[in-house]
Amino acid sequence: MNNTAIQTDNLVKTIPQAGRELQILRGVSLTIGAGESVAITGTSGSGKSTLLGLLAGLDLPTSGTVQLFGQKLDGLDEDQRAKLRLGRVGFVFQSFHLLENLTALENVMLPLELLPQVADPAARATEALAKVGLAERLSHFPTQLSGGEQQRVALARAFVTQPQILFADEPTGNLDRATGHEISDLLFALQEQSHTTLVLVTHDDTLAARCQTHYRLEDGVLV
Amino acid sequence: MKGFLRHWQQRWRMAELRLLLLALIISVTVVTSVGFFTSRVENAMQQQARQLLGGDVVLVSSRPLAADNLQRAQALGLETAQSISFSSMASSTDQSQLAQIKAVSSTYPLRGDLKTADAPEAAEILSTGQLPARGEIWAEARLFAELGIQPGASVQLGHSTFKLARVLTQEPDRSVNLFQFAPEVLMNLDDLSATGLLSPASRASFSQLFAGKAAAVKQFQTALKPTLKPTERLRTLEDDLTSVQQTLQRASRFLTLAALLSVVLAGAAVALTSTSLMRRELPAVAVLKAMGMARRQVLFDHVFSLLLTALIAAIVGIALGFGLQFVLADWLSRFVGKALPTPGWLPVLSGLFTAVGLLLGFALPQLLRLVNAAPMRILQGFSEQPRPSVRVAGKWASWGWLPRLRRSRRAVLLVAVFTTGLFSLLLLTTVRTDLLNRWQEALPSDAPDHFLINIQPAETAPLQQFFSSKGIKAELYPMIRGRLVEINGKPVVVDDYGSQKAKHLLEREFNISSFAEFPASNALLQGKWFAGEHEGLSIEKGIGETLRFGMGDKLTFDIAGQRMTQPITSVREVRWDSMQPNFFVIAAPGSVENLPRTFITSIHLGEHKTLVTELIHQFPSVTAIDIGAIVGQIRSLVEQASMAVQGIFVFTLIAGVVVLIAALQSQKAERRREIAILKSLGAGRAILRRRIWGEFLLLGGVAGVLAGILAVTAGNLLGYFLFDLDMHLNLLPVLVGGIAGSLLVGTAGYFNLRGLLDVLPMSLLKS
Repeated sequence: MNNTAIQTDNLVKTIPQAGRELQILRGVSLTIGAGESVAITGTSGSGKSTLLGLLAGLDLPTSGTVQLFGQKLDGLDEDQRAKLRLGRVGFVFQSFHLLENLTALENVMLPLELLPQVADPAARATEALAKVGLAERLSHFPTQLSGGEQQRVALARAFVTQPQILFADEPTGNLDRATGHEISDLLFALQEQSHTTLVLVTHDDTLAARCQTHYRLEDGVLV
Repeated sequence: MKGFLRHWQQRWRMAELRLLLLALIISVTVVTSVGFFTSRVENAMQQQARQLLGGDVVLVSSRPLAADNLQRAQALGLETAQSISFSSMASSTDQSQLAQIKAVSSTYPLRGDLKTADAPEAAEILSTGQLPARGEIWAEARLFAELGIQPGASVQLGHSTFKLARVLTQEPDRSVNLFQFAPEVLMNLDDLSATGLLSPASRASFSQLFAGKAAAVKQFQTALKPTLKPTERLRTLEDDLTSVQQTLQRASRFLTLAALLSVVLAGAAVALTSTSLMRRELPAVAVLKAMGMARRQVLFDHVFSLLLTALIAAIVGIALGFGLQFVLADWLSRFVGKALPTPGWLPVLSGLFTAVGLLLGFALPQLLRLVNAAPMRILQGFSEQPRPSVRVAGKWASWGWLPRLRRSRRAVLLVAVFTTGLFSLLLLTTVRTDLLNRWQEALPSDAPDHFLINIQPAETAPLQQFFSSKGIKAELYPMIRGRLVEINGKPVVVDDYGSQKAKHLLEREFNISSFAEFPASNALLQGKWFAGEHEGLSIEKGIGETLRFGMGDKLTFDIAGQRMTQPITSVREVRWDSMQPNFFVIAAPGSVENLPRTFITSIHLGEHKTLVTELIHQFPSVTAIDIGAIVGQIRSLVEQASMAVQGIFVFTLIAGVVVLIAALQSQKAERRREIAILKSLGAGRAILRRRIWGEFLLLGGVAGVLAGILAVTAGNLLGYFLFDLDMHLNLLPVLVGGIAGSLLVGTAGYFNLRGLLDVLPMSLLKS
């Protein structure tokens, strides 16, 4: 059993902008152990989200390597990387990204439906929603829920498959302070219960402080 | 599959999918109803045209026809009839006259109507289903005049004496015998053998007429063709009656054009709605891909959704289309005075293909982009989504926002859709108007109703005097009858030609004319018309193709023993529906003066038909042919076609308006957001109202002018190549397009978005 969830070596990401190459990440190397909670902070535009995307295999680096669950991502195409994530990776986004035409229950069922042969996905999704305190809101659509409630649905969706890694991109960024607090409490409680590795990107130092490890990204380099 | 179905149900909650389904239903409805209706109208027009043949297919021979054809046809469920035509003398007690006798079986005619009158000047009545009883004959009014007798008189035909019971005014297949000189006599086939007129050596034309369901007729025709003897010829609508065919062809081309433009209109709506649907799906797909969904699954899921949508649209649209064409056909039948025949089932297939084709055609490129959307986008935002174009309220009316309008993808898209819609409508309007005018011009109320043939050269001057004394305008054309004997010095061998048409043409004499003025109803395709030359031939395009000769080839004709060799110097297209004397071959003026010739002319007599009797008394050798009945039949065909064209046009117009609204609807969500932002910035209802009006009036105006320019261009090209219309520059559609587009789009835009002005900014933002 490998105790390393994610490992990167000298990650570099450049993108073409206005006719020249813009370097966003300049050699990022880190190791995240299984069950560890890691915060990556930095100012806007420091490359936090880009790094998160590379760690999750949503994108490939310009150079350097990423290993997810001990598997090197370079050389894998988009579908192979998706297969690697399937059922093992959860996501929570700043703008929730719930599907508007789906009810809370259907949104949470979504990752279960992608897995082959999951017994009674509706029951598991209902249970997940109950854990985040939304047992009474199963049939509500995202537009009928408040911001905090929408992020609770997103948390339920992220944890319903009991993922090995959860990636959270500014999970409280769109919420007021009190609600943000509630959501982060819930996030850490769930992470603890399920021993999930947490990779959290935020500019909120208080939130980052709740993680075991705290990296700061400045000008594309971890400090 | 179950999962895909559930996803479709979940997507159904999105207004975009419902709108897409609506757009598809509209397009399928338009296509199928136009298809069903066109099929019915075409069937009706074909049926009407077949009346001119007397049946759907007619087998003609100079020898008696075998009875097994009839049995074979009856076995296929076809109706059959027979007729035998030949020339014979008909005699009253005092006088004799050469008559064209037509002996018919009891089922004649299978298509079309017989009309008769009690006396030569009496009103005609419909006599379909009745035929001369045994011992009776019916004859054309001319025979009464020639023999100087009244109805009820006895007429001798061969060994038999008949009672001349009625005046024959119309029979369906008369046009087939256009150059029949003698007045026609109709008799019962059962009386024929007793007359003793028909011997094995007699020159007669034997016909078997067949009619029935289209498929059975086709099957019969296919089986019959290989068994045809050299003396036998199969007459169908396709081979014969070029004048009728041209009218039909133009009408059906227009109807098809209208249907095609409906598809274009519907396609615009489908393109818009599927684009906005896919745009809306983008975040969902990115989320699913981040969760681990493979591209193949994304593709299958969406393709299933699209196909299911197409199928539902096809079923609903086809049902609606079928229902709608009944309303249209019922409305049309009030004008044409009879019920239209039932439609074919092809439109069901075209409806299905329209739904699937439009959806996949327009949505697939979007879908592929969707499938390939990078999952990273979920962290970067969806910049591809057009942002609401927010402008500071209050400056809406200044021209300063024009560059903004140009930059806005939304405005470009709307202009494109409105231009397509208005272009379709303007194009149909211009072509329809030109086409209707053309038909009216081709068959004016004073279209010739009599041909006068066999006019001797010495009679031309007194005949012209006779015409001018009666106020009749007529131009006399020389007519030389000649057989084509050599092409480029090589003898013509009939057996070298495979087609029946070619053989038929070569076995008979050509009617050659010669005159200086280019015939108005013709179009010059190649070469030059005569300008003072005394040598050269101008040929009809079709005959050149059939007999394989063209520009520069030298043709030799045998004209009553004299040979005439001349090169082809021009090729013409002849509009056979003009009812003017038309010629396959026209020789240079002055080149045929020394050859034996007669003259031909066409005149309009209208109600003054008695002039024919007077004319024949004065010029006994002249033969008058009454083509009034044919003109009447063609005119009613044209009226029917015109009504169909108008009907389809109304339909496309409705489709166009619906598509404009669908286009506006597809951007409603975006507009909603934009209005919310403007309202939150302090824009009042009056400002917003003016802004909406301003934007859509301008969009409509720009689209209308563009559409007008395109319609003028396309209309001219289509008119020239498909409808034989002349090119002309008419800028009216550009003006009409600009004004109508502005008003139509402005009004539709305002009324579509008016509801949004009432909603509170807060709830707008929330939704």
